Amino acid sequence: MTPKVVGSVLKSPDEDQTKSAFKNELSKALGNRTQLQRNTNAKTVETIKEETAVKLRETKEKYNHPKRRSSGIFTKSEKKYNEKDKRRFSGSEIKFIDSNTEYKMATLRPKSPKPLVPAKPEKEESIWDKIGTLGRKKRIKEVQEAEAVQAEGKDSIETPGNPVLPTLSPEEYEMEENEERCMVDQAALDDPKVQELINVLMDWINDELASQRIIVQDLVEDLYDGQILQKLLEKLTGEKLNVPEVTQSEEGQKHKLSIVLQEFNRVLKLPPKSQKKWTVELIHSKNIVAILYLLVALARHFRAPIRMPEHVFIKVIVVQKINGILSPKTVNEAVTSAYDDIGMKCERDAFDTLFDHAPDKLQVVKKSMVTFVNKHLNKINLEVTELESQFSDGVYLILLMGLLEGFFVPLYCFHLTPKEFEQKVHNVGFAFELMEDVGISKPKARPEDIVNLDLKSTLRVLYKLFSKYKDVA
Amino acid sequence: MEDIFHWCREGNALQVRVWLDDTEHDMNQGDDHGFSPLHWASKRGNVKIVEMLLLRGARINATNRGDDTPLHLAAAHGHRDIVHMLLRQKADVNFTNEHGNSPLHYACFWGYNEIAEDLVNHGAIVSIANKFGDTPLDKAKGNLAKVLHDIAVEAGQDLKKIKFKDQSWLGLKTRSRDATLSRFKGINIKDLRLFEKIASKPSGESYRAIWQRNNVVAKILNIRDCSARISRDFNEEFPKLRIFSHPNILPVIGCCNAPPQLIVINQYMQIGSLFRVLHESSDVVVDNAQALKFALDIARGMAFLHSLERIIPEYHLNSRHVMIDEDLTARINMADAKFSFQEKGRVYYPAWMSPEALQKKISDRNWEASDMWSFAILLWELATRELPFYDQSPMEIGMKIALEGLRITIKPGVSPHLSKLIKICMNEDPGKRPTFDMVIPILDKMQR
Repeated sequence: MTPKVVGSVLKSPDEDQTKSAFKNELSKALGNRTQLQRNTNAKTVETIKEETAVKLRETKEKYNHPKRRSSGIFTKSEKKYNEKDKRRFSGSEIKFIDSNTEYKMATLRPKSPKPLVPAKPEKEESIWDKIGTLGRKKRIKEVQEAEAVQAEGKDSIETPGNPVLPTLSPEEYEMEENEERCMVDQAALDDPKVQELINVLMDWINDELASQRIIVQDLVEDLYDGQILQKLLEKLTGEKLNVPEVTQSEEGQKHKLSIVLQEFNRVLKLPPKSQKKWTVELIHSKNIVAILYLLVALARHFRAPIRMPEHVFIKVIVVQKINGILSPKTVNEAVTSAYDDIGMKCERDAFDTLFDHAPDKLQVVKKSMVTFVNKHLNKINLEVTELESQFSDGVYLILLMGLLEGFFVPLYCFHLTPKEFEQKVHNVGFAFELMEDVGISKPKARPEDIVNLDLKSTLRVLYKLFSKYKDVA
Repeated sequence: MEDIFHWCREGNALQVRVWLDDTEHDMNQGDDHGFSPLHWASKRGNVKIVEMLLLRGARINATNRGDDTPLHLAAAHGHRDIVHMLLRQKADVNFTNEHGNSPLHYACFWGYNEIAEDLVNHGAIVSIANKFGDTPLDKAKGNLAKVLHDIAVEAGQDLKKIKFKDQSWLGLKTRSRDATLSRFKGINIKDLRLFEKIASKPSGESYRAIWQRNNVVAKILNIRDCSARISRDFNEEFPKLRIFSHPNILPVIGCCNAPPQLIVINQYMQIGSLFRVLHESSDVVVDNAQALKFALDIARGMAFLHSLERIIPEYHLNSRHVMIDEDLTARINMADAKFSFQEKGRVYYPAWMSPEALQKKISDRNWEASDMWSFAILLWELATRELPFYDQSPMEIGMKIALEGLRITIKPGVSPHLSKLIKICMNEDPGKRPTFDMVIPILDKMQR
């Protein structure tokens, strides 16, 4: 356990060797800890704590080594290790302190904050010192606490980590006869479409939870324990869930996750077949496919103002043990399919029928809309050829309102050449305001739908105008 | 009682000045007998106050319940300097009261010889008979009658007796205003009796109405969703429109804040807007002199508005937002100013607005200069009797003015002085446009 050893391990190009070295180290650390635990009764709390602290620091220093950081496998589990301890020792409430940890304390930022500012260096000793001097009076309690700390440290190291499963102990690879296991092909996650889906969903969650100062940086690492899923559900439904605020143990997390998922299923009202796609086990084992399934269903149900890439597949390797032989096969999991609209949940109207049953007529409708809008937009030398894209930034919609209702819109009221998503949403929202002001009922579509190039929403809005103003010269 | 009438009687110039400085105070209001502040000051001979009132545009020919003008009172009480001041301001020298008496009758009767001579020198007719058939000369004592007779002959007056005719039914007189008009800003909707609808605009629907025996116009604002916040803003903003202190500004008398209804009330103007006079059927003949007078009235009103702090309901100058009073005075209609919550993002008359006003928020530009541009368009309108860009829709006009340099063209028929003034007022550089204070003397000169 000297730095030298670690250095030599790092230099080794063989990854397996690195893995095994890491496992060795873990088990050593673990061994020390169990030893400590055994001696608990004999030693004073202070000494236990000091020892633990020294151990912790040693391990940390080692893995905080810059070269170490670059190798993903180590840092992940080590990250958790740090974070768990910190959570534990900095009081009963979670404190989101370090950028290395899963949660990040952020000042209230507007929307979709982009990571990240490197966090301040940690202050390790101070917490320990404090507890050390304060703790003398309640020894018995402290002893118990120390035990809990140790157990947790153990937990945090032992819990099944990455979906790629490199940290699984060999025993866990043992499979029952006919048992199935699935693994995500790491390469599949690098697919740009998958990455886009992950980013879109992450931005959405961050938008929703911005007010609670929660920022998700890694979909898998941040969501598996149910904590953020709980917050997200509470935000979306507006109802408080009755679950413990913070749980550290795997059991507690799973219990919490099961309650949260139950609530999800109650809200989503999906058939049991699709509910199987996200079980407590799958999510807690950080299965990216399960988490994506759940989030996509959620985004669809709550009509999240996002546009998800369509037809996203993730390659999953399913291994089954048949007659004592592992037989792998590759399965494509379809995470998203084609959406004609963005999770519309309102009652069906003529446009739904049109899209579903008479796609041939759609062209006719589009054409007559184009004729209608061009009749007016031509007056200010503008021409529309493609409905969905040219109305998406709201500018034409605003100008059209002015042309139809006989007013001018001062140019400071909207963005004449919008670039950002927010600017476009502002424009479309402003056009909706104008419509309402002149007595047109609020469109069912949301500004975000129009900006996200949703043809059906765009047509719905234009049709409202068409039916009111078709006779205007 | 301590009020404006009391101070005018007592000659408390300081108090009168303080009172006048409040734009919500109407200097043309009358007391129980229809005496306006100017009546009282003229009667009591408070020169300073008369001067102050005249300077601020008090109505010179306002009448009390007995149809006396301030000139009647000044002449009857022997205040020669005040008579001079009133005459300089073109007071009607031959106005007769309910007894048929002109100011000259009183000057002769009370033996103010010098005043009587001054009056005749200013065109007072010596042969007007009152209800009882007496002319001023009949009232004169001593040799005054002869002196006046000689002056009149010299001036070429026809000395035939002009018989008394009761003309009060003609409605030529301008009584001092009902003081209650300016007294209550919050008006109870129950005190309002609505009659026929006279206009329906995007901003709201206007009805002719009666409130406290006065003819008023009640505009019910068109508000989509009258929230508590809007109601509060309304309450805060409308008192700023109660500008009673300038003759060329038509104040908002008061408002009903009764959500969901917000009602703006101002005086009823028979003739209607300048737009109506110029472009729609109207009995008013607008010759060049009258057009110039309108322009001067508007410039004076705007100059006064600019002398105040910028008010929150935003006033856009155009011919629809100028009303013509029964004495053919043009008045800036404060009821047409837009509240902060009104017509957000909608401009219905961009033709009168400057390019920068169509592009920038009022806080990001020189709003006085933008008003001057609008005034230039108004001058053009008065000169040509045409509507700017009448063949295009507001959206087209706005986009073209703001982005493509669309401008009015001055036709050859317009006088060179006026076309030059129009060009100066709509200088492309807002900083180079004149202020209304600079334009007034120019128009004044052109009028003569």
